[in-house]
Amino acid sequence: MESTVSVSKGVFLFTNGFKKGKVNKKKSGKVLFEKIFLKELWYETYKQNWNYIENELQELHQKTYSLLLNDIVNYIKNHGISESATLEGIIPSATLLTGVSQPDHVSQFASLIDIIRNEVTPHVALVNSQDAPSVKHLVENAVWQLIHGQQITDYDGESEGIITQTKKLKKNQCTMKTLKNWYQSMSPMKKKSTTTKQILVVIFPDFESFNCNVLQDFVMIVSSYVSTMPIVFVFGVATSVSALHKSFPYHVSSKLLIKVFHSHASPVYMNQVLEDIFLTHTSPFHLSGKAFELLTDVFLFYDFSVTGLIQSIKYCMMDHFYGDNLKSLCCDRDKLEEVIMELSADDLESLRQLMSFRPFLEQQDCVTKISLFNDDNFFRDALYKKMNRLHDYLYSFYMCLRLLCVFVKDLPKNMLGKSVREIYTKCALECVTDTPAFKDCMQLLKFQSQMKLVESIKSALKIVNSYLQAVSPVRPLLSSPTKNNINNIVINDDLGDNFVKSLKVHLLTFLRQIEHANTDTTVSTHDSLETENADENVPGNRYKLKEKLLKATRVDRVQSEFEMVRSRFVSYLEDAFSKGLQPAHAQTFHEVLFFSDVSNVRKHIVGSPRGAVHTALSNPVHYLQCSCCQLPSSDSVIDTLPDVCLAYKLHRECGKHINLYDWLQAFAAVLRPEEDDEQRHQDPNIQLRFTRAVAELQFLGFIKSSKRKTDHVMRLTW
Amino acid sequence: MASGFRLRFGENQTQVAVDNADEILDSPSRRTTRIRTKPKKYGDFLDHTPTKRRSYKDISSSEEDEVTDETAVQKPTALFSEDDVEGQDMFKFKSRHTKLDLQNKVKAAISNSPKPTDSPMKTPRKLAAFNSPLTKVSQATPKQVKDIIKKRIINEVASDSGESDFSGSSSDFVPEGSDHDESDSQSSPAASSDEEEEEQKPKKTVGKTGKNKETKTKVKDSEYFVTPDNYFMMNSSKKIATSDHTLARLKNLNVNENDLDDIEISVEHKKSINELNQTYTQLFNKWLHVLSENFNIILYGVGSKRSVLQQFQKQKLNDFPCIVVNGFFPSLTIKNILETIIIDLLENSHIPSNVGDVVNLIDTQLTENGMDLFLIVHNIDGPMLRNSKAQSMLASISQIKNVHTIATIDHINAPLLWDHTKLSRFKFTWWDVTTFVPYSEETSYENSLMTHRSGALELSSLKSVYQSLTSNAKGIFKIIIEYQLENQKQHYQGLPFKDLYSKCREQFLVSSDLALRAQLTEFLDHKLVKMKRTYDGSENLVIPIDNVLMQQFLDQQTS
Repeated sequence: MESTVSVSKGVFLFTNGFKKGKVNKKKSGKVLFEKIFLKELWYETYKQNWNYIENELQELHQKTYSLLLNDIVNYIKNHGISESATLEGIIPSATLLTGVSQPDHVSQFASLIDIIRNEVTPHVALVNSQDAPSVKHLVENAVWQLIHGQQITDYDGESEGIITQTKKLKKNQCTMKTLKNWYQSMSPMKKKSTTTKQILVVIFPDFESFNCNVLQDFVMIVSSYVSTMPIVFVFGVATSVSALHKSFPYHVSSKLLIKVFHSHASPVYMNQVLEDIFLTHTSPFHLSGKAFELLTDVFLFYDFSVTGLIQSIKYCMMDHFYGDNLKSLCCDRDKLEEVIMELSADDLESLRQLMSFRPFLEQQDCVTKISLFNDDNFFRDALYKKMNRLHDYLYSFYMCLRLLCVFVKDLPKNMLGKSVREIYTKCALECVTDTPAFKDCMQLLKFQSQMKLVESIKSALKIVNSYLQAVSPVRPLLSSPTKNNINNIVINDDLGDNFVKSLKVHLLTFLRQIEHANTDTTVSTHDSLETENADENVPGNRYKLKEKLLKATRVDRVQSEFEMVRSRFVSYLEDAFSKGLQPAHAQTFHEVLFFSDVSNVRKHIVGSPRGAVHTALSNPVHYLQCSCCQLPSSDSVIDTLPDVCLAYKLHRECGKHINLYDWLQAFAAVLRPEEDDEQRHQDPNIQLRFTRAVAELQFLGFIKSSKRKTDHVMRLTW
Repeated sequence: MASGFRLRFGENQTQVAVDNADEILDSPSRRTTRIRTKPKKYGDFLDHTPTKRRSYKDISSSEEDEVTDETAVQKPTALFSEDDVEGQDMFKFKSRHTKLDLQNKVKAAISNSPKPTDSPMKTPRKLAAFNSPLTKVSQATPKQVKDIIKKRIINEVASDSGESDFSGSSSDFVPEGSDHDESDSQSSPAASSDEEEEEQKPKKTVGKTGKNKETKTKVKDSEYFVTPDNYFMMNSSKKIATSDHTLARLKNLNVNENDLDDIEISVEHKKSINELNQTYTQLFNKWLHVLSENFNIILYGVGSKRSVLQQFQKQKLNDFPCIVVNGFFPSLTIKNILETIIIDLLENSHIPSNVGDVVNLIDTQLTENGMDLFLIVHNIDGPMLRNSKAQSMLASISQIKNVHTIATIDHINAPLLWDHTKLSRFKFTWWDVTTFVPYSEETSYENSLMTHRSGALELSSLKSVYQSLTSNAKGIFKIIIEYQLENQKQHYQGLPFKDLYSKCREQFLVSSDLALRAQLTEFLDHKLVKMKRTYDGSENLVIPIDNVLMQQFLDQQTS
């Protein structure tokens, strides 16, 4: 392996038997890579689950983008044909304001291209800024893609297809002229089938990173061809329309017919992704409150990218499943039984060691306890029941979450948050019904108007109904191996289907009651008195006013019918929520479905290279775990420290410039305090150690050489 | 909706930038807007038309306000935790460094460690303090330090000529082991408390060593305030206020770099470093899993990570094509990497010029062959890869499904290399792999400061060129060196060509002006000699090498 060191080469290739064109490698290669994990139970479950989530994402993706993209496609359809004919040399162009989270745009433009290919024209070109350093490149790229667009769709992305095409043009032959000739040769034969001309679409996904002059020239060139062939531009602009105006002077922008489209804000998209995919009972994998908070924080404060968020969730999922067969229980309810039967005795043993198993165990009587521990089959039964209950819990939890969101999101001050995800973090961390924020919210609900309340209840009912439709009925254990003494286990089955049904009934009755309730209050007796008071109330008599107000508070207000119903309704809600919104960590076996190892994942997702370097240098014990380098404080210095650490600590005491000689002397003095001053820094060993420590500090970027004074280095940190 | 989003983003950006320190200063202005929006929100609430407002071209002012209102409150909750390294430790401006800081540090360190001159009674106590430092050292050290410092202050006040006094003498680093005896170190507590106040002003660092223990826990959760004044104080004076010592004072200047390997590392450290590195091998399977899911891996932390990666490659990647890139290699180019992938591995004839084409080519050919390529980049932050073009190329390649990148970083500012887009392409997972293994390969190329200065490189190159010369040319070169050494002064003008010619003729080294010029071109080409033209048109010859080095070279030649 030492062959990777060379004074003349920086890149080394290890083919490891790989040869281009070896067909048999095609199969074995892929298998080899996956073979390592394929036999593992957890890996299969992970794969299944991730594929499921990926599909869901894909669907959601199509759904969210479809509205906007259809608008654009319609615009392209209409303008490509009609107006370009009437207005000489003007290119219709759609400007899509995409927002700053550029990583997300890739998928957005990919689906735009798909739609355009399917609905409008196969001739679409997408030119990235990195591929267009000059007009020549830009034209070549665009023209090549336009001409070969047909073939790409024909062969469905198979690269071999393109290569074998006989009439494939070379890139450097692609000019606007070839495009024109090609277009004219193509259009007559197309004309028989379709009356309209084929539109050519050129997409610039990252407008801001293009060189302005290149784009300007391109626009001018294309505008002279627009009369012969209909070309439409699509600009992806990350900032605002003004970017377009700034980079195009008048003579260029006058050639463009700009129509602006706004895309979704990425927080909206994020909420959608989270709510529809991850915060549902159907999701096979759940994030604990802390983990969830972390991911949303990374989104809101670091990257603003939904793709990044999904990747982080994927990473969490990988971490959750990795090397742990228990996690194969994270599967569909239907498969649960199968999986439980497959678990080995070892797996069951580790399940018994889960923290959340203990409270459950303590509830049981002695006989059950013993059989839970000794009888694997009995334990399997219990596990099955418990897992089912956990699924029931999830089902009612997420429904309650949405209900709570419906009632709470419009309340002033947003104490619990506005979106489902915000409320989720609160509910998952602790028992939300005990928090003051929740109590305040309920208090506020008690002041809500009839109309508003009716509306909330109606939308709540909608949610309940959709949940009832989606539910899969809880089946009894089909082929349970040991049906005996299973009844011993106390499982309070108050969640799941039944809970939701009763909730629905209650909501319906409350809705009816509230709708018909009378809002008039009967406080007529006090009216006369108050008017009197008002008459005699001379302005300025503050004392009297105070008296009056005090009196008003003391008066017993008779509640109206509506108010009574409302307060009953709110207390019912409180009850229901306290049942349904128990935090996940109180549930037995929640570790199986919920991912909570936040601190570990945080390091891998966010990473803190600077912090690690600092810790390693100022407190090496943290990593080395040696007994010799225990430091009383992070600033102190002792002679047993590794050389780099010692040099680092000494250099922190210096200013912007460091005298190497003094530094060396200090270094030597710490290492050899007993020796004579003259001797110790002459010791070649110490010099060597110092030299290397300094070189390493330079490599780490703490210092650099300085020309300003002989034998001085510059410090690069404060 | 759309504009609401942009506004919100602005808010977040600033929040990230200013950090929490600013929050306090900022909040009043924000609060005012918050109060103003309240009635509006109540109005909205009564109208209950939230669904209508969702449609995204209708931007009402109230909505915008709502958004700002909300974001003003938001703070990251899970991003930061207690075990984070405090920013204050890393980024704090030091208020004015003085020359004494270094010395004091050393003093404190030395007074910590057991000394042979100490009385036998004292030593064991200190050794005990070492083993349980948290309890005893904090009590024992300050007193001693204070004593030393006190002496120093007295000295300083007495000498009155603050800076020059210490800069010249090398005795500053004498540990003063014999100076303080038992009675000194056992001075009464009352007296020491007096001294403590006294010495706070002149020397902050010394106070730290003793005090940090108690204050640390208290300070921990306080917020970090940027004190920019210190920065300007530090950078205000152009003058470099360090001593004028040079390394020339060392006698054995040229230490042989080659025997760097036998530098002593204590047995215990060796053991714990080994153990540490063993733990990383347990991560290999996980890495493989992470890579197989199309994430890439980046390793950070102090110490060379080459051996870890080599082990990984040896153990796990034997059946896959791997490309190892030494990012620290000083003449590496991104084109080298592309050539290796496209020409050497994929057997194409040339590299396309566009980034997109390159990526497409690699992508299609790898999928065609159904092969996974592993790209191991030692030091992706290497000097030759520190440009956005190289990084975006690497990012684009890493993005390919069949390419798996494992990279390491060492430079403290390495994360600045990547923007948002590149990071999302790289899809890194971060792994703390602190190894404490010396960077022997990584630093072997770069002229480390000391070696560079000590001129071992120059000397050896000088020697090798010199050995290839003819004896006449050697003679000429010697003449130039000797002249230069004889005429050492501040502004050495060089040896005039005419003088050189006459000297050479005297020694029968050359016979003609032209022959001498032919010999000189050899030197000029190797940059052994520089030609300077003076105002009067004559040519002067200078050797651009330090005099000390030249003397050394001459000694070696003659001996």
